[in-house]
Amino acid sequence: MTPTSNLLAYSYYPGCSLHASGKEYDVSTKGLFRALRIGLQEVPDWLCCGATPAHNVDELLSLALCAKNLSLAEQVEGDLAVSCAACFSRLKTTQHRLTDNETKRRQVEKAIDGPVPLGKPVKHLLEILAEDYGLDRLRDAVQKPLTGLKVACYYGCLLTRPPEVPQLDCVEAPTIMERVIGAAGAETVNWSHRMECCGANFTLSRPGVVLKLSNEILASAKRAGAECIIVACPLCHGNLDIRQQEIEEASGTRYGMPVFYVTQLLALAAGVSSTRLALDSMIVDPKPLLKEKNLL
Amino acid sequence: MTLSDETMNLSFVRKVEQLSGSSVRRCFQCGKCSAGCPMRTFMEHPPNRIVRLLQLGQYERVLAGRSIWYCASCETCSTRCPNKVDLAAIMDALRKLSWDAQGPSKESYVQLANRLFIENIRTYGRQYEMRLAAVFNMKSGQFLKDFLLGPKLITKGKLKMFHQKNRNMAEVEKIFSRIEEMRRKGEAP
Repeated sequence: MTPTSNLLAYSYYPGCSLHASGKEYDVSTKGLFRALRIGLQEVPDWLCCGATPAHNVDELLSLALCAKNLSLAEQVEGDLAVSCAACFSRLKTTQHRLTDNETKRRQVEKAIDGPVPLGKPVKHLLEILAEDYGLDRLRDAVQKPLTGLKVACYYGCLLTRPPEVPQLDCVEAPTIMERVIGAAGAETVNWSHRMECCGANFTLSRPGVVLKLSNEILASAKRAGAECIIVACPLCHGNLDIRQQEIEEASGTRYGMPVFYVTQLLALAAGVSSTRLALDSMIVDPKPLLKEKNLL
Repeated sequence: MTLSDETMNLSFVRKVEQLSGSSVRRCFQCGKCSAGCPMRTFMEHPPNRIVRLLQLGQYERVLAGRSIWYCASCETCSTRCPNKVDLAAIMDALRKLSWDAQGPSKESYVQLANRLFIENIRTYGRQYEMRLAAVFNMKSGQFLKDFLLGPKLITKGKLKMFHQKNRNMAEVEKIFSRIEEMRRKGEAP
């Protein structure tokens, strides 16, 4: 095998949040992939996937927006890497629905005025790390093991549900996050709320919903002895991190629970400088915890 | 109430089935959807009752109130249904039928937010969170909602003040107008 054939390279769809409220996720995904020498090239002028709001209002529009993005992604070589759980879910849903349903496919083709390419594999970065890159190589790439850090892996809704769409891992008891962060040396806790909904996009219209559901998630993680939570979705991150202080005030419980994107901790372990992980953008300051664990 | 042709609207159920691509009739009321629903405490009808009411043609009771607007699309119900009833897709269909028939109500704030989200896509090609939150607060009359959060997010660099130009903007507008055209001609639901 020549050395070049060992190199992985992907096209990359960051999604809207990763260019704004979830910029830590974008920065750390890129930093991690660079450290692991995995190629990542952004799809030029990608469009919003429509997320949950588009299918809540108009399913055809939702499918058409994702179909257009799948077609734009054809310009860049390599499987399509996606970090955001919602974008991942919508792009995979579109592939799934349009493969199964010819009437819908014809409607979408008409809406985007062209064929919908359905052949490019859409992969979540967890899948890329666990399967394409491999846990053994990941273990070898660790320069600063996350030893002694107790992590609660939070999956939320869309990474695994409904099972026929993402096909990422077991739908009711996934372990992919635990395996990946475990390879970087962290200790993962067993806890009850890792697949419960955080309140999702009610954060804009009915924040009270988020205060209740996300409080239960934080309480469960704390009960299990977690020192931090890791997520793979910018909406989950917003609800657990940005709204954490409000949740504490409403519930009368102090959590002070840092919420990392999975890639932030992996990149730190892979030797990426802590100044390049957007740690300052997190609302709950993670630095005291990282210092305590000698990771800063 | 007695069930009869007059009190049961079964054509509504067929519309729901057509829009959602899911059977309503296959449900045998095991209740797993409601057992796993994270939003059930916010709803006056738990998910399994929504399906039962649909089976009995009681669509006014389904559309009245808040239940359909408090579904978070978490997909737990669709995942766990032993009969492959796609309740998350049925909820999407119900929200669309309700909005088309009755327009906005005080329970449907979430759909107002969703529509602004889509408006953003049509205008900018991508989300522009600052505008989304500002316009939502204005239109829903909650001018001070998250008043303290905004400045905090700006200092953390989490809210962009300006949107980026996207070379595919013209294409986005065409997608929206082609879909509208298809609906006018009855070629799309």
